[in-house]
Amino acid sequence: MPDENGMVVREEVLVPVPPSLSATSSLASLSSLPMSSSSSTRRYTHARAVLGPDLAARLPETKVLLVGAGGIGCELLKNVVMSGFGHITLLDLDTIDLSNLNRQFLFRKKDVKQSKALVAAKTASAFNPKVKINPIHGNIKEPQFDIAWFKSFDLVLNALDNLDARRHVNRMCLAAGVPLVESGTAGYLGQVQPIVKDQTECFDCVPKPTPKTFPVCTIRSTPSQPIHCIVWAKSYLLPQLFGEDEESGGELDEAEKQGENAQEIATLRKEALAFKAVRSALRTPPKSENASDASKIAFEKVYRNDILNLLSMGDMWRTRAPPTPLDFDKIKDGSFVLEKKSSTSPNGVPPNNGSNSNGQASGSAATEKLLNGTAPTASTSSNSSSLKDQKALSLQENLELFVSSTNCLAERIRAGEDTISFDKDDDDTLDFVTAAANLRSAAYGIAGKSRWEVKEMAGNIIPAIATTNAIISGLIVLQAFQLLRKSYEALRNVHVQFRPNMPLSTIGMSPPNPECGVCRDTYAELLCDPSRVTLGEVIDGVLGDNKREVSAYEEKRLLSDPDFDDNLERTLESLGVTRGKFLTIVDEDGDYEAIQLGIGVLPPNHPHDETIIFPSPLPSPPKKVKVVAAPSTPPPPSRSTVLSKKRAAPEDDIQEAPAKRARTNGNTTIDNTPFTPSKKRKLDEDGLIILDTLDEKVEDDDDVIILD
Amino acid sequence: MSATTEPGTKSVPLQITEDEAAVYDRQIRLWGLEAQQRMRNATILVVRLKGVATEAIKNIVLAGIGTLIIMDSENVSEEDLGAGFFFRDEDVGKKRVDVAKARIQSLNPLVTVQTMTEPTLLEAESLDALVMTVDLVCVTDFDREGLFRINEVCRRFKKPFYAGGTFGLLGYIFCDLLKHDYIAPDRSAPKEATKNIKNTLVYSPMYEGLNHKWSGLTRKQTRELNPAVVFTVLALWEYESKHGRLPDDPKTSSDLDNFALAFLAKAEVNKQAITAIPRDLIETIAVTAAHEISPVCAVVGGMLAQDILKALAAREAPIANFFTFDGSTGGGTVCRLNMP
Repeated sequence: MPDENGMVVREEVLVPVPPSLSATSSLASLSSLPMSSSSSTRRYTHARAVLGPDLAARLPETKVLLVGAGGIGCELLKNVVMSGFGHITLLDLDTIDLSNLNRQFLFRKKDVKQSKALVAAKTASAFNPKVKINPIHGNIKEPQFDIAWFKSFDLVLNALDNLDARRHVNRMCLAAGVPLVESGTAGYLGQVQPIVKDQTECFDCVPKPTPKTFPVCTIRSTPSQPIHCIVWAKSYLLPQLFGEDEESGGELDEAEKQGENAQEIATLRKEALAFKAVRSALRTPPKSENASDASKIAFEKVYRNDILNLLSMGDMWRTRAPPTPLDFDKIKDGSFVLEKKSSTSPNGVPPNNGSNSNGQASGSAATEKLLNGTAPTASTSSNSSSLKDQKALSLQENLELFVSSTNCLAERIRAGEDTISFDKDDDDTLDFVTAAANLRSAAYGIAGKSRWEVKEMAGNIIPAIATTNAIISGLIVLQAFQLLRKSYEALRNVHVQFRPNMPLSTIGMSPPNPECGVCRDTYAELLCDPSRVTLGEVIDGVLGDNKREVSAYEEKRLLSDPDFDDNLERTLESLGVTRGKFLTIVDEDGDYEAIQLGIGVLPPNHPHDETIIFPSPLPSPPKKVKVVAAPSTPPPPSRSTVLSKKRAAPEDDIQEAPAKRARTNGNTTIDNTPFTPSKKRKLDEDGLIILDTLDEKVEDDDDVIILD
Repeated sequence: MSATTEPGTKSVPLQITEDEAAVYDRQIRLWGLEAQQRMRNATILVVRLKGVATEAIKNIVLAGIGTLIIMDSENVSEEDLGAGFFFRDEDVGKKRVDVAKARIQSLNPLVTVQTMTEPTLLEAESLDALVMTVDLVCVTDFDREGLFRINEVCRRFKKPFYAGGTFGLLGYIFCDLLKHDYIAPDRSAPKEATKNIKNTLVYSPMYEGLNHKWSGLTRKQTRELNPAVVFTVLALWEYESKHGRLPDDPKTSSDLDNFALAFLAKAEVNKQAITAIPRDLIETIAVTAAHEISPVCAVVGGMLAQDILKALAAREAPIANFFTFDGSTGGGTVCRLNMP
């Protein structure tokens, strides 16, 4: 580019400094001018041409936070480093696993077990020595990452894989007033969502699908699908044998309240007691010649006695096939015969439908046959696979695996491990869950699953590939450019989808959901010493002259309300409301939106006798918007609809409600409190309401593929 | 994936080992073991190593193709450092492929990486000999006539052909997979009962595809395909063909405008949908087309690699046949050029 450097440098100087840039940052860009004739700016020649001199000049001064250094995070880090974002903070709590290497290209085999953030930063900093990467091996929910910390960034980019952390970052960004780009991928699919408080929907404006749950009785006594047996093995049997020694009565009490079969629950209670004996057998050193003793005791209990107990309840099996008690010795010597109960094969050979659990075109023998007209090779046609883990296990093999894995786990407990819980990468627990689930499946006439399949189902593995992550991370940065330009009208939600003529679809931004229990709240920062300020002091101070009846929460925990003032004299610290957490002030009459006070620390040189700095001006939450449902497109039910659905009661009944609410001493969590700050979302999580999605247009034919 | 050889009939010489399965676990769960084995046995030629190729190569090497051959005769420029993460400051002036090779190799030791630098390899007979030895050809950031020529050679040897590149915020992928059979789940069926279905696509060579007539599409159908971007790409190729380089000057916008108008008229594009390229797009592209930026390369290189892998695996519908990307919004559309 002849003459271009001189031209561009001049433009950089002349460009008015955007208001978001501080005086120091504009000075910094001036001071870097003498170097700009070298490769330090020719590296950015292309970026300057495409992004324009204004944005290009700001990038080196831009402070960006990347949350996550995994599949999306590695790709994203590469893009922001190459694009020239000058100050990058990269945070991840995870370490590198072998199965990351197919897509997380900043990691090598030698890096396995190292911190993702540290290794990613090291690898990517070589891509562009002009940028500074600050890696943090930590959890984004740690207290030091408070509102003030979030405020130190111009932009936050999410590259997370779990709902909890994404919600947290969403809320912190709303509280700090920092724009966020949210993202996610699953297999070939992905999406990118820019979020600006009061301009766009936030992450929680649209309800998210909740994880699938099963009724207790389905898992404990009447499974009908492989997943029921896997959940039983992972979340019930494994904790019963190797988890914490606790009375598991709570779950059954709850199930009873939900109206599940009372007789069945009584039987399950008896069953639970019998586990004590098995637990102690597993913790006793075995006599050398009888190594399988304890595992046999466990087996006899769950696959024989418990099933015999259940069978004694004739009522249960009138409409469904009864299970068959298993016989340890007969399975071992191969003489055990299961009668065929259904079309599924109880020997553990799964029926092959040629598609995996994610509905993608996986390569089984059946699909090969579809493509070629013939199965690929004789050796793979019956078993569809040459991988050991993908082989279906016989009943006998499952028994052997049950014995060996139970003994391994028992040995670990005896060697001093306190408790063992399921981890898909812990081979012993995976073996145990595979075998235990398959044995139970056999007893119930359900098809078995291979170790490979159990790993995916029990470990909630979402298939992941480099390409989708690369595409999504490119799209994140393109939206980030629009955010930095404050070109809000140019922002788009983008979806990577199966649609032959529109693989990347864009949707203009929707305004915030007026009913959103997260972004409609009023956020403010409360700097204080939580060990020296009381709840009452904070509430009084924050309300100022606008005295009204309020209740206070931390997350779902009720700390005070007009009829419950026991905690007002207690310090925030004693109530667990500390740095990085939010104290939520909710209007008792529902007239005002809630106030969210993010707890931060006092400045270093603050006088010792002043323990609190109230936000100035004090937060003044707007009056709540009453939404009238339009007949054509039903909006999500308003808060009042939700409440009236929950308890269709006369007016005075509602006024009694606060007195009925459970109270807390600051240490216990109350679920299901109807007045939680983000009640819509939380009620939804609890499965109480089902909302029509706001983004029907987004989803119209995402899943439909048009074939010729 | 070619007209004469049925996919899969060629024997599968290399089996995935347990170690490989551990590394490739998350993707085998998506596309299956057989698809992985097909990738493992494929040799892919990538021509030119700029931003899009850098991204596409990273992705297909991570995925675990068998052999990658990169052909590029140029030296690393300082500007290449903007999107070329296989290059470092100290590499400026050295051959692109020479400095990139070890870094590409380190992404996945299971892949064989070969490089070529002699420009004559793209000339008639040597190109024939090269194409014959590979399973798929991917040409990046190349001029239109060159793409036509390599596409024609690929046709002669029944090899799938991909072209991809970026122009500033815009990008494109064209592919010619000849007659391509693939399987994909029937996503119109209820979720619990998805079945795999075999499909066949018959592709068009690029020079015929670009003569495609858009008549017959409604205003809505036309608009959905983002014709402004499609015809901007055609105009850029025309400019490059006439001037020997891409435009990089605001004064070129009237040229580009005229080229686009001529293509719009020739293709009989529905006038209710578009009559000319929007002024701001033409003015922007006149000064940005010759430049590449990392995020756009990531999107286009990601789409390109994904489609190459789909084609190799004969799993999922590949692009049919002209994808364009608009980085100002993030939208990407595919139009069928001269395909049934």
